Amino acid sequence: MHIQRLPDDVASQIAAGEVVERPASVVKELVENALDAGASQIVIRIEQAGKSLIEVADDGRGIPLEDLDLAVTKHATSKLRTAEDLFHIQTLGFRGEALASIGSISRLTLISRTAEQKMGGKIIVDGGKLVLREQIGAPVGTIIQVQNMFYNVPARLKFLKRDSTERQQIENFISRYAIAYPLIRFLLVVDGKNVFQTNGKGNQREIVAQLYGIDLARQMLEVNLEEDDLQIRGLISPISLTRSNRKEITFFINGRWVQDTPLISALLQAYHTLLMVGRYPMAVLFIELPPEDVDVNVHPAKAEVRFRNPDRLFSTVQRAVRRALMAHSPVPIMQSSGWQSPRLNSWEGERIPDPAWQMQIQTPSGPLSSMDDTAMPGKPDEQSAPQASPIPSGQIPLLRLIGQVGGVYLVAEGPDGIYLIDQHAAHERVLFEKLMHQQGSLVMQPLLSPIVIHLPPAQSSLLAEQLVALSHLGFQVDEFGTNTFRIHSIPAMFSTGDPAAAIRSLVEDFEEDETPFQEEIETKIAARVCKRMAVKAGQAMALEEQKALIRELEACESPRTCPHGRPTMILLSVDLLERQFGRRGSR
Amino acid sequence: MKVSVSQQQLAHGLGVVSRAVNPRSTLPVLGNILIATDEGRLRLSATNLELGITCWIPAQITEEGSVTMPARTFTDLISTFPNDTVVMNLDARTQTMTVRCGFNSTDIKGIDAQEFPPIPVPDLSAGVTLNMADFREMIQQVVFAASTDETRPVLQGVMTTIANNEVALAATDGFRISIRKLPLAAPFEKTYNLIIPARALSELARIAVDGDQTLTMNVPPGRGQVIFHLKNTEVVSQLIDGNFPDYRAIIPRSFKTHTVLSRGEFLNACKQAEIIARETNNVIRMEIKTNPDRPGEIKISAQAEQTGSSDVNLDANVDGEGITIAFNVRFLREVLDVVKTPSVVLETNAHNTPAILKPVGDDTFTHVIMPMHLG
Repeated sequence: MHIQRLPDDVASQIAAGEVVERPASVVKELVENALDAGASQIVIRIEQAGKSLIEVADDGRGIPLEDLDLAVTKHATSKLRTAEDLFHIQTLGFRGEALASIGSISRLTLISRTAEQKMGGKIIVDGGKLVLREQIGAPVGTIIQVQNMFYNVPARLKFLKRDSTERQQIENFISRYAIAYPLIRFLLVVDGKNVFQTNGKGNQREIVAQLYGIDLARQMLEVNLEEDDLQIRGLISPISLTRSNRKEITFFINGRWVQDTPLISALLQAYHTLLMVGRYPMAVLFIELPPEDVDVNVHPAKAEVRFRNPDRLFSTVQRAVRRALMAHSPVPIMQSSGWQSPRLNSWEGERIPDPAWQMQIQTPSGPLSSMDDTAMPGKPDEQSAPQASPIPSGQIPLLRLIGQVGGVYLVAEGPDGIYLIDQHAAHERVLFEKLMHQQGSLVMQPLLSPIVIHLPPAQSSLLAEQLVALSHLGFQVDEFGTNTFRIHSIPAMFSTGDPAAAIRSLVEDFEEDETPFQEEIETKIAARVCKRMAVKAGQAMALEEQKALIRELEACESPRTCPHGRPTMILLSVDLLERQFGRRGSR
Repeated sequence: MKVSVSQQQLAHGLGVVSRAVNPRSTLPVLGNILIATDEGRLRLSATNLELGITCWIPAQITEEGSVTMPARTFTDLISTFPNDTVVMNLDARTQTMTVRCGFNSTDIKGIDAQEFPPIPVPDLSAGVTLNMADFREMIQQVVFAASTDETRPVLQGVMTTIANNEVALAATDGFRISIRKLPLAAPFEKTYNLIIPARALSELARIAVDGDQTLTMNVPPGRGQVIFHLKNTEVVSQLIDGNFPDYRAIIPRSFKTHTVLSRGEFLNACKQAEIIARETNNVIRMEIKTNPDRPGEIKISAQAEQTGSSDVNLDANVDGEGITIAFNVRFLREVLDVVKTPSVVLETNAHNTPAILKPVGDDTFTHVIMPMHLG
């Protein structure tokens, strides 16, 4: 085969692949354009998750009539003149590729008028070819419509995820930018419904409140640090407020959303030892630094950036976050004017185990841990005698409770040795089996007045899909306006505990994994809810409660693991104890 | 400081305040009890920063002063002393107190009283005066309905409203709500809407002795605290900040079925059914039947797959249509425990709408319960 130059349309489709990967990237390019145009209001309309329509309308400067043709051609931009300019870019875009790329894979309509011109212009590009150009009356600003995205790139279309996933990406993106640009009014309309709207009054906390609820917004801590030419502002969560994933950590650098792993690690470092393992903070941080100190021309979609002096940046981020956290330390501080409530306003309800106790566990020479080491299966001296559990399945023998250790473990005696039971995991298992068995004889406890919860748009579309599965388990939840849900009743077995917190953590879990099979969903939901409702590590239990838990665990079908597969108990067998105490040689 | 006090009075005072001690606090001084001379009496105070209790006992003061003593050590020591005079002598330089009683002499190391959080002083003239016996009964009739769930602090509190010369207490855990009202003895012009921790009110009810006829409730402006002043005792509590559910909107106004029954019989039936029902989320089914020629009856039944089943039949005056409705029996038992009248009335509309239980012939107490739903 001869080498030949690719036709223009093929070349631009290939280039489009780098910039335009999915509907959310189109939204990103268009919204960034609108921001660069100095808009004070941006309206985003999407239909069918952006596959059939994405429309972004702004009231910015607009494009002069004579430039319209140029705007949709390759490497055409008003934001850059010379290569030198690349090193101090002040605008979000600069590559001059977006509109051309989008135009090559969809039907793109561009309507625009500047304040100076009386008539606006309209052009339509279909699959990279200009099909219409006319003068038209239009408001000042720019309206861009992208229809039938990827219609000429079927391979791309096939690789798009489910509509709900694509929609979430867009919603996530818009909510992030709404927080970052509080002075601009954003309106997101999904399939004709107003999903999200900000008022442009400049109050970031207010926008966070809209997205995550007032309670949460009130708790967020303010970060503000200025050092020479580096400025870090934003909101971070106090240590009592955590998430199970890192998705709520957002960085903006000079107004641009970047996903930079080292930056996230720097933030997590600041929280180090303050959060439980597997819990992550929420944060929206805005970093301002001189444009020449950051290179955004690394990645076509500009999600990655390079810093001239990364170490300094990371340590400053860490210091800023740490300082904000320490200023709001939960240790009660006495004031002469009266008392301070030491209540850790624990939104999540997770208790942090007493650090002293953790230390004891971690001491390498402690008797507990040394026993643990030997008890680990897989040691060479393993014999046929029952070793440390978990043994995969089967009932457990009758146990006699000895007591609770450190508010975390229960100790019980069985015929074959000492059982150490993780109270949280054990309770999770008990609740899980109860919940799964009640199918058919479902008992619900309705609430006197429904609890209203407010979720960010991305999470609420997730929850909306699972309402039926939830009702099978006894949670009656319905949609109550945009992004708002009402909880009407909960399974009777959970009549203590916070229903709103349970639903929230469920949604977080949905976010984590993409598509569990529908039949698995209910089991997953049940496991998740039980985790939330189960007694926590560090929670003191009355003797009666401890006994009841062990009785209930004995009655479980698979008592040895929690619904997530962690062991609920470790058996220190009589044999093991005898050998450890040297009562019997380890032959 | 040098004082002599009666062992009996000191032991009682320590018993009252020690409920506010937090032995596991990160601030060591909160594990201590403040002991201070105060205008011819001895003042004992303890606080966990949410709840503070102060108690005054008579004392013979030779030298003024103050110190804080480790609660456990000091209380244990005093309780073993004979009923005699206890002489306490503080060495201010070492903050060590010598406690003498009978032949015993014990030195206890304390912490400087300066480190103890200041306790606010109420403005008694601005307070509202309540009858102690009435208020204690009110507390007992609502606190059990408050939530024990730490994740919902607002529901751990009791909504205390003072308005229109009436005091109203309300507590809810989201499934039931207990409301008790009482007219004020003397007119009071201010309006208060306070969420007071249920725990603080329970302590108040426990502390009040027969000698306390009245109590004065004072809300110092802008402090987020409430102070209850009794004759020799003061209880200070942080208020809970938040929005309490609007319970007036929840109370149903009309009913299809009125059922009047004996409180004692109903309570007994609930206790019996609960033995079986506790295996199955406390569910009981209640069949309310009307009879054309004789009074109506109620059947309360509970079923547990593994344990067995229970049926209790009760006579009742049923007015309206018959209904079958399910309840958490613990909720019924707990409210019947605090009702004082011989008969109660249960008012219901449908199996999925709130029911009211209240004493017959007493309009001041209302209890709303959300029935359970069997799927």
